Amino acid sequence: MKCFTSDPASEPASVLYARCTVDLGSGKTRYEDVPCRNLEDVLGGFGRSFQILAERDIRDAYCDANPLIVNTGLLTGSSAMTGLRTYFSGYSPIKESRKGLPAAIWSTGSGNFGAKFKWTGLDELIFENRSPEPVYALIRESVDGPVVELKPAGHLVGLSTHAKMMALQNEYGSNAHFAAIGQAGEQWENVYMGAVALSTDNQLKSGEDKMRFAGRGGMGSLMGYKNLLALVAQSSDKIKPLTAEVKKVNINVVKGGGSARLQPISRGGGGGTWAAYDVMQVFNAVPVNNFRPQGNDLPEKLFRENVEPQFVIKSEACFRCGITCHNNVHEKRGDGSAGRFLAKFDYEPLNLLGTNLGIHDAAQAASLIHLSDNYGMDSISLGVTVSYVLSYNERHPEQPLLNGARFGEYAGIRELVEQAGTGNLPEIGHGSKRLSESTGETSYAYHVKGLELPAYQPETNPGYAWAIAGGHMSMGTYGLLTREGKSDMDSWVEGITRTKLQIVGFDMIGLCKFFDITKGICTQMVVDCIKSEFDMDVTAEDLAAAVRRAFLRGLALELRQGYEKSEYTLPAEVWERPNQNIKLPNITSPEFIAELQKRVWEIFEPELEGLLPEIGQKGR
Amino acid sequence: MKVTIKLVGPFRDGRFKENVREYPSAVSVLEVVDELRIPRPLLGIVLINDIHARIEDELHDGDTLCLLPLLDGG
Repeated sequence: MKCFTSDPASEPASVLYARCTVDLGSGKTRYEDVPCRNLEDVLGGFGRSFQILAERDIRDAYCDANPLIVNTGLLTGSSAMTGLRTYFSGYSPIKESRKGLPAAIWSTGSGNFGAKFKWTGLDELIFENRSPEPVYALIRESVDGPVVELKPAGHLVGLSTHAKMMALQNEYGSNAHFAAIGQAGEQWENVYMGAVALSTDNQLKSGEDKMRFAGRGGMGSLMGYKNLLALVAQSSDKIKPLTAEVKKVNINVVKGGGSARLQPISRGGGGGTWAAYDVMQVFNAVPVNNFRPQGNDLPEKLFRENVEPQFVIKSEACFRCGITCHNNVHEKRGDGSAGRFLAKFDYEPLNLLGTNLGIHDAAQAASLIHLSDNYGMDSISLGVTVSYVLSYNERHPEQPLLNGARFGEYAGIRELVEQAGTGNLPEIGHGSKRLSESTGETSYAYHVKGLELPAYQPETNPGYAWAIAGGHMSMGTYGLLTREGKSDMDSWVEGITRTKLQIVGFDMIGLCKFFDITKGICTQMVVDCIKSEFDMDVTAEDLAAAVRRAFLRGLALELRQGYEKSEYTLPAEVWERPNQNIKLPNITSPEFIAELQKRVWEIFEPELEGLLPEIGQKGR
Repeated sequence: MKVTIKLVGPFRDGRFKENVREYPSAVSVLEVVDELRIPRPLLGIVLINDIHARIEDELHDGDTLCLLPLLDGG
């Protein structure tokens, strides 16, 4: 990043970012310093990548004109805590409109790859076309600036995400970090939900498969289509000395309360996202058996307090992050010490590959998470599509789908995961939308706009309909009813159209959402970090306006890809078979949804005008 | 007056899951939270008789107070 202004909101063109474009077909590379068009470009992430995607007319995700854009955010690699994010953007193989057009998507993860990538001197890497042979990309620093080279990757073919990274670590040593797909991404024709795994310090030092993931939207499958199996970022560490201002912010991130729930219980925190189980169960809102909570105590079997006696749970962290939100579950040896690493227990994968499949045994759930991670699949899309199969089989015991597995049948479910992960079950690999359309029973396929729902019941979150990159992480209304107790129309309209959409700011700037998930990025803390790291004066209002424009651009892009307003809704089972067990006010009646749709579009629609460039227009 | 207190998740550690306790009339949720030494930054949801409530709200004889940690992300 080259900054020739202290006022990037008014003079964005005086900020230039370093881009490399790689033609995977010819192997040619082009380097350029690109002037920013607006503050979204300066902030980075999907705020920038969606403007590039909007210039293209893409009708099939698996076409050479669909780029894979790898970029970072302004604060990736900075001394601000959680500044580790890498973003992968492109048109999604799995998220599609009813008209069959692919939606633009981004996916993001932490790990150390993003910082290493940034430290090579590159801000953005665009992969065009596809390689005739399997390759990986080496991104390295040099005296003349960043260099990107393509290398043969035949030796990586067929390896898991973790095994690919271990093989590359042997070649590149301790100064490199990795992004890799697994077998699922390699089988892109039959798996649309491939994830990109990102290496962590913990993983490379311990040899244990403790990766992080950019899971949503099938960016790993797009990588696989391009015959690009991995990325290597090799650079010396270039973190700036911690200034007093950023130090104060970092202390506030850890001690200021914003990340309290995510910190270890031993430090007085809530114990990571796993603790959502306990909270949601009070409302009988933990998804069970394909999002049908039964009003019983079955979900409690995977409560931490019931798992902890049999396993060793290590509280661990991303590089230099004081939040320490990871709960890494290990076997417990006879002497009580930690044995083999089993899986990281986060709320989403644990629920969607556990309780929501009728699996209530922690070791079995861990095994399914482990498989999903190593095949390189989005655990949300995988879990929800498998739960659809199990639900179908429960309804059609005489003519079940696939192997006939039912809720709670571990062996059969494991077989489905293994077959899907290796590309042998396109029925699952293509996601719940396509599968449910093929069976004709769409009402209990728990996706919105083609992307599977995370582990928050749709009955608690009609805001899902306007999430632009799936689930709750691109529309922060998932706690509006459960946490804040809001069930009135005005609060929901305000949440969706104004306050809760701001969550996507984290997917621009390079910070993890746990930096301050309740307040977003439009805070003095972020303003102070930008000032300290880049000597730029940006106000919280500037940031809020840029985030809003970026969100609306995403919405406009959905509409251009053929989405109709009737697709901004929830799975029909929610109102066709209202779940009386959920102990929360009903805010998903057809009448409520219809009124919400009307009022939300009344606000959004006038603002969508002119946000997208003309298709085919070359921005630069 | 008697109030049933239910604690959720890490709030149970070193405390209890459910307990009927004696309080002076018109005690506030905040006073109960402090009495139980529950860290305020971790308190996310307050339910009185299964209805969302505020930390300033007063409790009455026979109420059930449920204290839940924050719900953020997943």
